[in-house]
This record gives sequence, structure tokens and C-alpha cells, in this order.
Amino acid sequence: MLDNTATTSTKSKMSARDVKVFYGEKQAIKGVSIDIDMDNVVAFIGPSGCGKSTFLRTLNRMNDTIPIARVEGDITLDGENIYSSSMDVVQLRARVGMVFQKPNPFPKSIYDNVAYGPRIHGLAPNKAELDQIVENSLVRAGLWNEVKDRLQDSGTALSGGQQQRLCIARAIAVDPEVILMDEPCSALDPIATAKIEELIHELRGRYAIVIVTHNMQQAARVSQKTAFFHLGTMVEYGDTSDIFTNPREERTRDYITGRYG
Amino acid sequence: MTTTAIFFLIAGLGLITWVFARARAGRFIQSGVASVHSLPSYHGWYAAMWAVVPAVLFLLVWSTVAPALGSYQVLESPLAAQLPTDAFERAAILSEARALSRNPDLKVFNDAAVQLAPLYSAADSRYAMIGALAAFLLCFAGGAFAFTRIRPDFRARTQVERTVMLGLLLASLIAILATLGIVASLIFETVRFFNLVSPFEFLFGLQWNPSDKIVDGQATGFGAVPLFWGTVFIGAIIAMLVAIPLGLMSAVYLTQYASANVRKWMKPILEILAGVPTVVYGYFAALTVAPALRSFAVSIGITDASSESALAAGLVMGVMIIPFVSSMADDSIAAVPGSMRDGSLAMGATKSETIKQVLIPAALPGVVGGVLLAVSRAIGETMIVVMAAGLAANLTANPFASVTTVTTQIVQLLTGDTDFNSPMTLAAFALGLTLFVVTLLLNIVALQIVKKYREAYD
Amino acid sequence: MSASNPPAATASRKTDWMGDAMQRRIARRYAAERRFKFFGLAAVAISSLFLAFLLVVMVGNGAKGFITTEATLTVDLPAATGSISPDQLTGPRLSATMASIDVRRIFDQAVQAQYGKDGARYFATTAWTALRDQLIDNPNLVMGKTRFWLPTSSDIDRAAKDRSTPEAEADYAVLTQKGDVRQSFNMQFLTGSDGTDPARVGIWGALKGSLITMVVTLFLAFPVGVLAAVYLEEYAPKNRFTDLIEVSINNLAAVPSIIFGLLGLAVFLQFLSMPRSAALVGGLTLALMTMPVIVIAARNAIKAVPPSIREAAMGVGASPVQVVFHHVLPLAIPGIMTGTIIGMARALGETAPLLMIGMRAFTTTPPDGLTDPATVLPVQIFLWSDEVNRGFVEKTSAAIIVLLVFLLSMNAIAVYLRNRFETRW
Repeated sequence: MLDNTATTSTKSKMSARDVKVFYGEKQAIKGVSIDIDMDNVVAFIGPSGCGKSTFLRTLNRMNDTIPIARVEGDITLDGENIYSSSMDVVQLRARVGMVFQKPNPFPKSIYDNVAYGPRIHGLAPNKAELDQIVENSLVRAGLWNEVKDRLQDSGTALSGGQQQRLCIARAIAVDPEVILMDEPCSALDPIATAKIEELIHELRGRYAIVIVTHNMQQAARVSQKTAFFHLGTMVEYGDTSDIFTNPREERTRDYITGRYG
Repeated sequence: MTTTAIFFLIAGLGLITWVFARARAGRFIQSGVASVHSLPSYHGWYAAMWAVVPAVLFLLVWSTVAPALGSYQVLESPLAAQLPTDAFERAAILSEARALSRNPDLKVFNDAAVQLAPLYSAADSRYAMIGALAAFLLCFAGGAFAFTRIRPDFRARTQVERTVMLGLLLASLIAILATLGIVASLIFETVRFFNLVSPFEFLFGLQWNPSDKIVDGQATGFGAVPLFWGTVFIGAIIAMLVAIPLGLMSAVYLTQYASANVRKWMKPILEILAGVPTVVYGYFAALTVAPALRSFAVSIGITDASSESALAAGLVMGVMIIPFVSSMADDSIAAVPGSMRDGSLAMGATKSETIKQVLIPAALPGVVGGVLLAVSRAIGETMIVVMAAGLAANLTANPFASVTTVTTQIVQLLTGDTDFNSPMTLAAFALGLTLFVVTLLLNIVALQIVKKYREAYD
Repeated sequence: MSASNPPAATASRKTDWMGDAMQRRIARRYAAERRFKFFGLAAVAISSLFLAFLLVVMVGNGAKGFITTEATLTVDLPAATGSISPDQLTGPRLSATMASIDVRRIFDQAVQAQYGKDGARYFATTAWTALRDQLIDNPNLVMGKTRFWLPTSSDIDRAAKDRSTPEAEADYAVLTQKGDVRQSFNMQFLTGSDGTDPARVGIWGALKGSLITMVVTLFLAFPVGVLAAVYLEEYAPKNRFTDLIEVSINNLAAVPSIIFGLLGLAVFLQFLSMPRSAALVGGLTLALMTMPVIVIAARNAIKAVPPSIREAAMGVGASPVQVVFHHVLPLAIPGIMTGTIIGMARALGETAPLLMIGMRAFTTTPPDGLTDPATVLPVQIFLWSDEVNRGFVEKTSAAIIVLLVFLLSMNAIAVYLRNRFETRW
């Protein structure tokens, strides 16, 4: 299992080495190593409770918000350890954006939702540039045409799928390098899901994208690389086509063929 | 025999009835009757109920009727014929005589009362005796009636349970009765007040200088605007300027920053602030805060600062309200879904940015509702303002001046020897009705806001 | 969609996170974060410091209220009363004998004899009643010459504790030099009643008034509150009438307390002509105020009993009344008790409604029944706080300490009950 993870590519945007996560006494992640590059969408799959979401949250230190969580091991962004004291967590999260399972727009206008990040990070020196950033982000998230006439409406008034695209627009407004998506479609209907998947295709290459999904078809559709998690370990990591057609590990095969999960 | 003793005796008789009825029902079971419907204890309860309830109800009714019967008997006596014909004087003497008959050490003002007092004693003890006898008769009759009904197939449990349900319903009705009592008494006296002072004058008049003088059927000096202003100034402005920032920031700190240990200790300590009685705050405001504020005001050049200032009362009231605002804010912030907080933190916002720009705006309806409830509590608060705010009905925005409030004036108007028909007494009820209506509206609006807000995140 | 992207967006890509401007901005943001956190801490600190300050002031002033300053007075009773034989002090003759002694005159004479013409200034105006009480407690003292300790005037009392007028401080110095003055625990404060002389007042009268009032309140509010809660939670049909009851209860819980005073005045005193100033009326009024608190607490406690308990009881054939009274209520008792104690604590601290129904009676003897004129502890505090005599300041604070001890221990019991029983299911 180490063979396929140790293939350190020079293009690797983020890499994790022997990461362990503890919740109090309980160990949730038992030594995961992985490389994430700019060119590929990486999917994390596995049965629920396998630790895939927990691992995702270590990549932008969202686990810091849980008092009892403790992380060991090295995670680097562009070669810099994100858990080192010189790494500022506020900047880290701006560079590694996140989209959540349930759409969580702020109870503000659509415009203010997207402008939130640029405002707090001071990315736009004037109103005109802020307008431009908001427009670009909404365009890139494929939402512009639907909302351009009602930017001052509340973000919570949108449909579920629109809300989730708003959250993606919000994440890309701060121009991140990596986008983490935690089951972004699990609360959406199939049509909205299709739109998000299409969006992920278009964002690929511009951002390193990691998506957690419980839906294997989705992983197969949107990702180029797939990691299979089970009981806190990463069982297998490789090209998506290989994982789904020719898994090397017994457990991966069992999961993919529907024995458990 | 005192009423209390009679109650205890009847309770004792009830217990005896219970024991005998239970024993009687118990014998059916021992004698092997096939189908006994209810357990013996239910027969006991059934009989005891019949023995106690009618007698007690009778006693309660009798205790309200008996004094009137006593007065009637006294008025029939030859001594009463010498009483003055003026209804008011007459009533005064009679009530004094009655008080004297109950407490012989009392000082009296009318000598006539001294002669009437023994008559009252005699009449009262006579009717007390009649009442007690009748109650005991009822008690025995009820117990005996129930006792004869004890048979194996008698559904004692059903009967007892039916009575219990009736009792439950009656208990619930007391809340309605109390509300009706409040509304009725306030409206009744207020209408009488508005016969003497026009509602327009009361609600919009700028002069508060109440007196008993009635000229052409109209009383003057009942313009309540200075009172309304004082109430708003102290309760809704100064107190809230203290309570909102401190309460909100305490809630934010305790829920978002403090460690579990600090929270565990600090929350109850803040709650103590809400448990301190208002008379203690009032004393503290008058004894310590007001003089300190006055010397501070004088030292910065406000020479006309009053020793009873709006600021002293408002500050202390604000502190009293802190735990209230804090717990409402705490609930509202807790109701904001955690995903919103995570969403903001994941954007790279700091904690304070998240709190200021996401959590508090999202919790705002709940916080506003809580603040409205706090305002309604502050303007109804009495002791702090009575002890620290003063009586001068000033229309001023100077926090170091003395202002007066609705509740202060209610206390002021009702303490002292005013009689129940004077415009001053009635004015207190009019003020009470105003206060009741305003706090009720604030509460309804606040609860609606809070409810809507909770539904939005459910 | 991406085809429509303006090229500008691509050109401005990759923010320079490490640049100077961005670093300064981050520093500013962290400073704001620390400031905000500090404000939060300050808010908590200010609130708790205020509480601490209040308690310190009350304890600082009030502790002195529990101490009394006494001066000696040597009284030769046989010389003043003529000889009294021991058998006059036994059995039924005792009270007649004691009544025949003019303690006040004897006191005045003894003071003049020991301290000269102006000696009376050393003692409290009611110091002679202290002498009388000591004689009643121990009649044998009548038979001899005794050195009594009697309360000093409040000026000298304050000279002993703090500072006072120059004359009083000089007097105190003289007394101290002769060893004729001491400070001791003020038993009278705990056993006495209201009065005009701060040296002899006590809180027992008010405390007893409070206790009687609370008993009335508890006996009315607790059963009614619990029964109403049972009805609303377990049996009430969902209709407009039930809604009316619920609205009434929630409304009563939010009505300012002074309105209950107006209700008591108009309904109990005026309409039902109940006696003024009586604990009965006070208890009734407070019961109406406390009942909604108990109803709300009891409903929550009953609601918290899991439905499985009800189903289990129903399953073995219990009637609806038996289900509630045998199974649900016993399990809800801790929650009900907590709510009741909190409601009673609030009633115990309540002042305004009792002022309205005249429970500010000046009585120098504790009330003996439900209809005796009485006052309660908070009202006593209010009345003393209005006294001009400086000696009342420490008595007021001391009474506040007693009230707070009661209230805080009630609240502590409630918190204990809540923590002990809350997480049962």
C-alpha cells in the first residue's frame, strides 16, 4: 500500500505523510500518506465512518475547531508544513477552500456571500474590483446567469443546488489553490448533482480538487484519481479507472462490488 | 375555635372515614365476593372525599359571607342607630370596630367603635359557631352517604378518578381566573379614573403633579408623559446600554472562547446576578452607586447632579438584566447551525470575524427578541427605581438628573392613607394598566420573533 | 461556461499571501481578534466584579450589624425594689412580681449613679428593655447587685466600629479605658423584631412573616401548579380553551410583579375585604406569581419522562390517572422540585407586590397567624433603608446578608437537584 502513495511527483500540490488523527483517546486516522496534484480531481471513497471526511478536514486544519482533536504527521502545501507555527491558519484556509456536505450560505445577500472572503482578506482595493471578483466567481460557479438580476436577494432563498453552487462561488472568490469538497452533492437532487459534477470538470486544472463522496458512480464520473478509505486507513490509492476496474486490494474489491458499506 | 382548627378537625375526620371505608371494602375481598370492581383504598378515597370536600367548600363560602352577616346583626342593634348617617363616616367606624374586635390592643380614633367592638365579637363568634356546626354536619352527612354506597360492584375508582380530573381542570382554570382578575380589576379602576381625568390628558399631558383635588368633576396634574419618559429612559435606554453589550459579549465569550472549565464556573456566577432580589440592588444603588456617580458628576463640573439619578438606577438595573440578555443571546447563538460557523472559518475568517459577521447577524432575530423581553422586564421593575430614581417628574435627558417612573409612582400613590376612591389611588391602576398592556405587547412581539427565528433554523 | 470567463480573472490569479501588505493586514486582523476576545473577557469580568463588589459592600457593612457594643451598668436591684423574697419568684406569682418592677426607673437611676447626670447618652434609648429582658430570663438576678451589659447608643456603637462624632469617640475612649465597654454577638438582631432604635431591632419578626407567607404560597402554588401542569401535559384536549389556559399561564409568567400587587389590592383587600398587611394575602398574591413558574417547570419535567414509561404502565392495565400519579409524576419530581425552589426563591425576594397590599406593617412583635399584621424580610430591608438614623445602615446590610444566605442556598439546592437528576435518560 505504500508503493502507490510514495510516488512523489514534482507537481504535487499537497502531500500528507503518515497522518494520524485522534479524537481524545480514539484514533480516527491511522497513518495516511497521499499526494494531491493540480491536474487531477482526487476522490476519497469508503464506507461511512471510515475517516475520509476527517482526513479531508485535516487538509485545511478545520479539525482545529474541535477541541479534543489532535493531528500527528506531516501535511505540506507547496512543500510547507501546514501544521508548523510559521503557517498561518487563516491564510491556509484561504488557500485551501472548502465546500460542505450541506449547502451553508450565510444569511446574507448573494453578493455579500461571495464578497465575504475577498472582504475579510482584503483582496479587492475598491468596489469595482470587488464587483468584478463577485461576478467572475459566480460566472465560474455557473450561477451568474441565474442570479445576476437579484444579487441583493438572500442567499438562503436559493434552491438547494443553487445554494451549493453559491458556496462554491464563495470558496473560489478568495482564489484558493486547493478546493476540498465534503460530499457536496449528498443533499441535492440528481439534476443539481449533475450541474455540480459538470462544474467540477470545469474547475479542474485551475485548482487542485479533492472530493469526498459515498457515491462510487460519482467518484468514477468526476475524478481521475481515487483513494479508498476503510477503518481509518487508506487501503488503496490510484487512477480511478484502475481502482474501479482492477483493484489490487481485496477490501477495495469487496467495497466496490457492494459487499459492505 | 379558629378556622384553622376546624380545617384540621375536618381533615382528621376525613382520615378516619378513609380508614373505615377502606376496612369495610377490604372485608368484601376477604369474604370472597367474586367481582370487586375497585381496590379498597379507592373506596377509602371516595368516602374521604365526600366527607371533606363539601365541608371545606362550605367553610370557604361561609368565611366570605359570615363577616357580612355579622355586620348586618350589628347594624340591627340599638347602638348602631346612633351612628352618623354619612355613609363614609359610618363605614369608617364600623371597620374600626371590627378591627378592634379582632385585636383589642389597637388604637382607635372613634369612641363609637369601642362600644361596637363587643357586639362585633359576639356576632362574629356566633356566626363562626354556626359555620363550624354546619361544616361538621356536612362532613358527617357526606361521609355517611359515601359509606352506604360501598358495595362490591361499586365503581369507586371511576368516581375518584373523575373527581381527580375535575380537580386538574379546576387547577388549570386558576391561571385564567388570575388573568381575568388582573385585567378586570385594572380596567374597572381605570375606567373610574377616566371619569375624573380624560384619557387624552393622562396619556399626553406633560404635567405630573397628582393631588386629590377635584375641580368641576375633573382632577388635574395627571399628565403621565414624564413618567413614561422616565421609564423608557431608565429601563429601555440606560439599562439596555449596560445590559446589551455586557450580556451579549459575556454570552459570546462564554460560548465561543472560554474553556469548558471556565464556562462551568462563570455561568452560575452570572446567574447569581439574576437571583439577587431587586430590593438588594435598590439598596446598593441608593447606598453606593448613586453617591459615587454624584461625586463623579460634580468632579467633572455637573454641579446640579442629583443624588437620586436616572443613571444610578439605570446602571444597576442594567447589571441585573445582564444574565437575562446573556442567556437569551446564548440560546440564539447556539441555535445558529454549526455549518455556518464552519463555512466562515473554512473561508479563512478569524473567530471574531465569524462571530461579528456571521453568527451575530444570523442570531439577530433571537437576540432582538431577547432584548425586547429584557426591556419588558426592565420597565416593570420596581424596587430599584423606587429606591434610587427619585420622585421628581422631570422631562430631561440628563442622566445625572432625577427622573421618576411608572412603577415608582404606583408605589408612591398607593402607600399612605389614601382611600380607594381618590383619583390618586385610581391613577395607580391606570398606570398599572398602561404598564400591563405595554409589557404584554412587548412579550407577544418578542415571543413571535423568537419563534419565527427558531423555526427558520429547524 | 468557462469559455465566458473574462481574461482579467486569470491574469490576477494567485494572491501574494507572503507580501508585506498582506502580512500587515493579517497582523491587524489578529490584533482585532485579540481585542474582541478581550472585550468578551472584560464583559464577564465586569459582571462578576460587580457581583463581588455588591457582596463585599453588603458583607462589609452588614457584618457590623451582627455585632453589638455594650457598656456595663451595675444595678443594685434589692436597693431599688425593696426586698423580694424567693417565693415571690416562683410559680404563678412570678409574672405579677416582675410586672411590679419599674425597670425603666431603676435603669435611669442606675445610669445616673454610675455615669453621672448625662450618663444616659452612653446607652441606647431602649437599653432598659434589654435590662428587662435579662431579668425576665433570669428572675434570680432581682435578688442581688449585678453588673449588666447593655447596648450603647448608636453613636458610641459607631465609634467602636468605625468613626463617629467627636463627643462619642471621646466617650468611647473613656469607657474603654475603664473597661466598661465590650463588643459581642448581637443575639437580639436574630431574635428581635422591628423597632425605632437600631440598637435593639431584629429580623425575627420579618423572617417569621416571610416564613408564614412562604408557607401559604407553597401550599397554594405547588398543588395548583403541579395539577395544572399534569392536566395540560397529559390530559388536555387540543382546543382553543386549552390554548387560552396556556396563553394565560405564559402571560402571567411575564407580568411585572407590581401588577400582582395591584391585583391583590383590588381583589383580595378591596373586593373580598381580607385583612390588610396579613401574611395570608401576601401568600395568596405571591402564589399567583409563583404558580406559572411551577407550571412551566413541571410541564418540562413531565415532558422529559419518556413515553415508554407511560406505555409500559398502560400495558399492565393502569388507568390514565394511575399512569400519571403512579409512574410519571414520581419520575418528574426532581424537575418539579427544582422549578418550585426557584419559584419560591423568587417569591421570597419579592418586595413590590407586598408593598401594594400593605405588608409594611410596623410591628414590634412577630406575627402569630395568617391574619396578623406582618412584614417580610425584603420589605423590612426596604423600610430600614429609608430610616434616617445612621445606625440602620448596618442593620439593613445585615438583613440583606440573611436574605441572600437564604436565597443563595435555595438556588444552590436547585442547581444541585438539577445536576444530580437531570441526565437520567
